[in-house]
Amino acid sequence: MSRRVTTERPSNVTDALARGRLGVPAVIFFVMSAAAPLTVVAGVVTTGYAITGVTGLPLAFLVVGAVLALFSVGYVAMARRVENAGAFYAYVTRGLGRPAGISTAWMAMMAYNALQVGLYGAIGAAATPVLDRLFGVTPAWWLVALVAWALVAVLGLLRVDVNGMVLAVLLIAEIVVILVFDLGQLSHPAGGSVSFTALVPDSLLVPGAGALLVIAATGFVGFESAVVFSEESKDPKRTVPMATYLSVAIIAGIYALSSWAMTVATGPDQVAEQAGEQSIDLIFNLAGAHFGDSAVAIGQALFMTSVLAAMISFHNTTARYIFALGRERVLPAAFGRTSPRTGSPRVASLAQSTLGLLVILLYAANGWDPVLQLFYYSGTGGGFGVLVLIAITSVAVIAYFARTRAEESLWRRLIAPGLAAVALIIIIILAVDNFAILLGVAPNSPLRWAIPAAYPVVALVGLHWALVLRGRRPDAYARIGLGAESAALMDVPPPGPGSEPVPAGRR
Amino acid sequence: MLTADEFYLIAHNDSRGKAKLHPSATNIGLAAGLLGELVIFGQVTITAGNVVVVDRRPPADALAHTVLDQLIGEPQHQAVRTWLSFLGQSAVTSVAERLARAGVLRRHEGRRLLRTSVSYVPIDLNAVAWPATRLRALLDRPEPPNVPDALLFGLVAATGLTREVLWSAGTRAHHRLSVLIPALPPPLKELVAHTEAAVGAAVLRGMP
Repeated sequence: MSRRVTTERPSNVTDALARGRLGVPAVIFFVMSAAAPLTVVAGVVTTGYAITGVTGLPLAFLVVGAVLALFSVGYVAMARRVENAGAFYAYVTRGLGRPAGISTAWMAMMAYNALQVGLYGAIGAAATPVLDRLFGVTPAWWLVALVAWALVAVLGLLRVDVNGMVLAVLLIAEIVVILVFDLGQLSHPAGGSVSFTALVPDSLLVPGAGALLVIAATGFVGFESAVVFSEESKDPKRTVPMATYLSVAIIAGIYALSSWAMTVATGPDQVAEQAGEQSIDLIFNLAGAHFGDSAVAIGQALFMTSVLAAMISFHNTTARYIFALGRERVLPAAFGRTSPRTGSPRVASLAQSTLGLLVILLYAANGWDPVLQLFYYSGTGGGFGVLVLIAITSVAVIAYFARTRAEESLWRRLIAPGLAAVALIIIIILAVDNFAILLGVAPNSPLRWAIPAAYPVVALVGLHWALVLRGRRPDAYARIGLGAESAALMDVPPPGPGSEPVPAGRR
Repeated sequence: MLTADEFYLIAHNDSRGKAKLHPSATNIGLAAGLLGELVIFGQVTITAGNVVVVDRRPPADALAHTVLDQLIGEPQHQAVRTWLSFLGQSAVTSVAERLARAGVLRRHEGRRLLRTSVSYVPIDLNAVAWPATRLRALLDRPEPPNVPDALLFGLVAATGLTREVLWSAGTRAHHRLSVLIPALPPPLKELVAHTEAAVGAAVLRGMP
């Protein structure tokens, strides 16, 4: 048998691994489906108007979009150099050290869990109109929530990531419905003329601006996940940054347009009142007046699927976060275990589902309001947490590039993340100041401090845990931030004389 | 029986030859098995995350020969993770074919919805259940397992199959397993570590 090996021929390995790599559109679809646009437009925007009573929301989406675009510059530049790139705490660990990393990981777990669990509060309101139309029944919200919970829990364990094609179709349908509804609202302005009041800077320069910025930030959650595909993208240097910037721009554009269109249709001075009366139904009632009942039916059905898709997506994100921490032994190793048959992070998924069940039962038993007190409080509380995570990460990006002296332009390693960090810190200060307005409670309500204070408290617990690990389990401490990649570090012998690997076997 | 063959049978230990392990972990585990065979033959070594060919003489086994040729043919690719991904793309078929040549499995062509699907079914159910049974028994013996068996234990643990294989074993067996893998020769220990990392990374990516 004759073999000829030439180095000039094209590489089989390169070609084979390039097949099935993701391009910009595929990554954007993934990111956007987690962002669930109709959930934000129908749920978050209407509730936000109702609670805060401030009309500057469209502008807040544009401001937050600009800040996140700025943040993304340094973020995507660092993503290529970081293991476990999907998790903020990996960046913080590399930039600001392991104790800060663990603190961030703890805060991230709380924020993502809050975002996921909050959605159980919206599913009742989202599904009731659909169930009423189809079967003529209006079950209690918690019954719907429990069915949705069971669906999410089972799909999480089976690792049936909803088919990418299904998600893409749903996403496009959602965006089309949103844009059509927007057109309807803009062509039927209240009082006969289109008002630009909600778009002038004055609308945001009011007490309550901080609240609006948090609501806006909640709508962007998910944009950070494009970096997960660094290795699977066609061109890591271009695909992931492009997908991240485009996602931020699309999200900002759609939400700003929709929240503005809503003020046009109701009249800027009326939007808070009408949103307060009609809550999530506002957008569908407006559409019903413009397009008739079948448009409303389509919109409501898509709102329900949108909330479900967001639930599944956030469940998987949260479970993977817990899995990564279990894999590096920061959480008990059991959380890093997978189900052999499905490859789902079984224990992490069960843990997240258990939390969801407890929260649904807690709210049902106490008769608390699902839309306001679960969906909105938990959602904005989680959104505030993600803002804090992003702010810390932007500082970590600067610190990382300053320490490693990796070759990057001054803009990417210092100026853009620096501007983003300053802007994010201002937003957070405003948000803490406005938290009572954000929640719609009295300025002396304990809730107004309890939610923002939960993050520093959890961060301190995380810091303590980091110090415990350093003392008791230095091997786990050394692997913080590596996620699944920690396995590869764990067993590599330290370089140096005497550790020269020898071929194994009978030689 | 070679490492990848035994891993294949453990991962498909089912009367219908159906997978017991999800596809991405199966692919990575089989690829690691194929690389591990070459390490055990003394033809390649693994150091600092790279696969290095140390002996270019053709190995006796045809599949090992093919894999070695691929390693030699593309010296620009050395990273273990690259080879785990690349070999993983074809490992299920190539290892199943090798088992079919050895008379352990039978190639079965089925037609479903106008499409021909190829599957590999066991010829003797006892033969395909044997590797898992053998591994369980090994942990009860006083003497430590040999290097190929220790590698197989490592791959079982790295792909998350430990509980499936040791379902009936006591805590003593689990403890023995936990000391076995750190005692592997360094190149194989590194291979197992990269296998575990690759399986974890596949779970984190979420998309199949």
